[in-house]
Amino acid sequence: MITYREALSEALWEEMERDEDVFLLGEDIGLGGGAFYITKGFMEKFGRDRVVDVPLSEAGFTGAAIGAALCGMRPVVEFQFADFVTESYKMIVDYAAGNHYRQMGPVPIVLRLPAAALVSAGPFHSQNPEIWFFGTPGLKIVAPATAFDAKGMLKGAIRDPNPVIFMEYKKFYNYPVDELPEVLRPEIPEDDYTVPFGQARTLREGDDISLITFGTTVLEALEAAEVLENDGVSVEVIDLRTLVPLDKAAIIESVKKTGKILFLHEARKRGGVGGELAAIVAEEVFEYLDAPIRRLGAPEAHVPLSPPLERAYLPSTEKVVSELRDLAAF
Amino acid sequence: MDAKHPLATREELANLDFYTDLADRYLAVDGLEARWVSFTRKEILPDQETAGRMHYLVSLARAVEETLDSAFRAGHIPGTAFFGRGNEGASVASAMCLEDHEWLVPMHRNCGAHLAKGHPPRSIMSHFFGRADGPSGGRDGNFHMGYRPKRITQLISHIGTMVPIATGVAWAAKARGKGEATINYIGDGGTSSGDFHEAVNFAAVRKLPLVIIIDNNQYAYKTLLSDQYACDALVLKAPGYGLPGFLIDGTNAPLVHHVCSQALERARAGGGPTLIESITLRAAGHSVYDKFADYVDMEHFEKWTNERDPIKRLDEALIEFGVMTAEEVAASHARARKDAEDARDEALKSPMPDPAYLTEGVFAE
Repeated sequence: MITYREALSEALWEEMERDEDVFLLGEDIGLGGGAFYITKGFMEKFGRDRVVDVPLSEAGFTGAAIGAALCGMRPVVEFQFADFVTESYKMIVDYAAGNHYRQMGPVPIVLRLPAAALVSAGPFHSQNPEIWFFGTPGLKIVAPATAFDAKGMLKGAIRDPNPVIFMEYKKFYNYPVDELPEVLRPEIPEDDYTVPFGQARTLREGDDISLITFGTTVLEALEAAEVLENDGVSVEVIDLRTLVPLDKAAIIESVKKTGKILFLHEARKRGGVGGELAAIVAEEVFEYLDAPIRRLGAPEAHVPLSPPLERAYLPSTEKVVSELRDLAAF
Repeated sequence: MDAKHPLATREELANLDFYTDLADRYLAVDGLEARWVSFTRKEILPDQETAGRMHYLVSLARAVEETLDSAFRAGHIPGTAFFGRGNEGASVASAMCLEDHEWLVPMHRNCGAHLAKGHPPRSIMSHFFGRADGPSGGRDGNFHMGYRPKRITQLISHIGTMVPIATGVAWAAKARGKGEATINYIGDGGTSSGDFHEAVNFAAVRKLPLVIIIDNNQYAYKTLLSDQYACDALVLKAPGYGLPGFLIDGTNAPLVHHVCSQALERARAGGGPTLIESITLRAAGHSVYDKFADYVDMEHFEKWTNERDPIKRLDEALIEFGVMTAEEVAASHARARKDAEDARDEALKSPMPDPAYLTEGVFAE
């Protein structure tokens, strides 16, 4: 089995071998192999014109990627940290997202965003960017939580004719494979494969409560479900995998069965994706609910650095358990 | 003919007499060295066929924009409209240096560039009128338009954005190795944006086949040049990026054509980008809503529009050097006017977009 980081490297390598129009742009990705070594050895193989060490200029190189994509190339942009994508915001939401709608052609770019918290990375290296893009039409937003998804979804993103916000999780990059729950390490095929967008994955079946999540918090979700099982409560855990397109049916089907639902994400609760998902459930299947819809996300604070603060900020297994027990009590 | 001169100061550039003096000269900056290079008018005139096409297109650019302006007053244009009056010569003469298969990355005062690259007036009119058959199908308007059949990108309102986009277009041209180049325009105001810096630097570092033309029309909306930048001329930024730069009189269309052709040849041959500062005057408001007489020095304005109108100057030069007769010039103007008005009449018959398709095309399939 390979790590999540190795899965990303394999996807990029294979896509670059498959299609000459695929090229990489990012800070320190060539000579240095990237801050997280995902493109280590790429420049030697593919040359400095396909593995491009760009000047420190996120808006500039995002714009360059868009321009090349307008001409039919397939740029993959690496942001050193997801947080720095704010530098490129207008390029993405104003230019790339709407170009096809304005009938000016597709913009096949992939924006790789190393997202979410890693131990004490602080306010500018820990953020979850999905909410900055979720309200903008024309952007696909994907959040692979396993090495299998990381590889298959990155390949799918590169072949997709639309701009793709590809969130990848630093926490998973080098996560020891044998320490992952069985369900988070599906076999990676030898042959080429892609993971279709818009298909959630049930990580654990259950009858009493639906726990819907994505990204880093799949770990806490599974641990909490285990704890609830000991309480005699059966929790269904679903990994959404992609936010746009959204597998709405998976959420609806699950809550119809359980009647109780908790949305969990690492990003802040206020303005988080969980709010939109909760509204969908309330609008469409209110009559199936046996308890109020619950959401768990980070509190109203910036991501703090010092360990006790960071621990208090991040959704933990204990917090998920507490939410699930509240729901179970209804 | 080369003789060394000190660089022009900003005060001199803003001075009409200085420009009259420089009618057919441009300042070339190579590294930190400044030179005057002189040309007689005849030497920079293109061949007869090119000159004839240039004349028609420059005239068409004005006719299309004047037709659009009256269409706006008649209520046919939803939203607003921006025009490039005064910039027709530079716009046409630069873009007509591009080959059909090369991309153009225009801004909102480059009607002439659209026309020179082959965007039909009929399509431009439909776009401004918000019609279903315009290039954006009514999803955007005014000069937020591209035209993919002729490889023209669309711009967005965020000034500065298009320079990075242009570097990507040039990147694709270079990566495919077919010796193609591209042209991008930016205004004097746009040079203050971070995007301009990031893109010009990247283009220079990677020797991209890109010609960046700064349309310095002396106003960024209602802001004076002296509130926009503190250097003597924007072209002086070129050596800071390691690029050659040219300061040219943008009301002299043949001169623009001459300089752009050379810059494009250099780019196609792998020589990298060139920065060209083209001085014109925005001979109208920022948009159709702008009461520009409130803040424009009208004496300066009258003098420029009388003495440095790009169309009048082109008419005179072509007749003086026997490239076209006065009758041919008049016929070219008449044809341009008729083509613009026919395009308007046809576009006004086009259907409005159907709201049933409102949410279609958000994603590419």
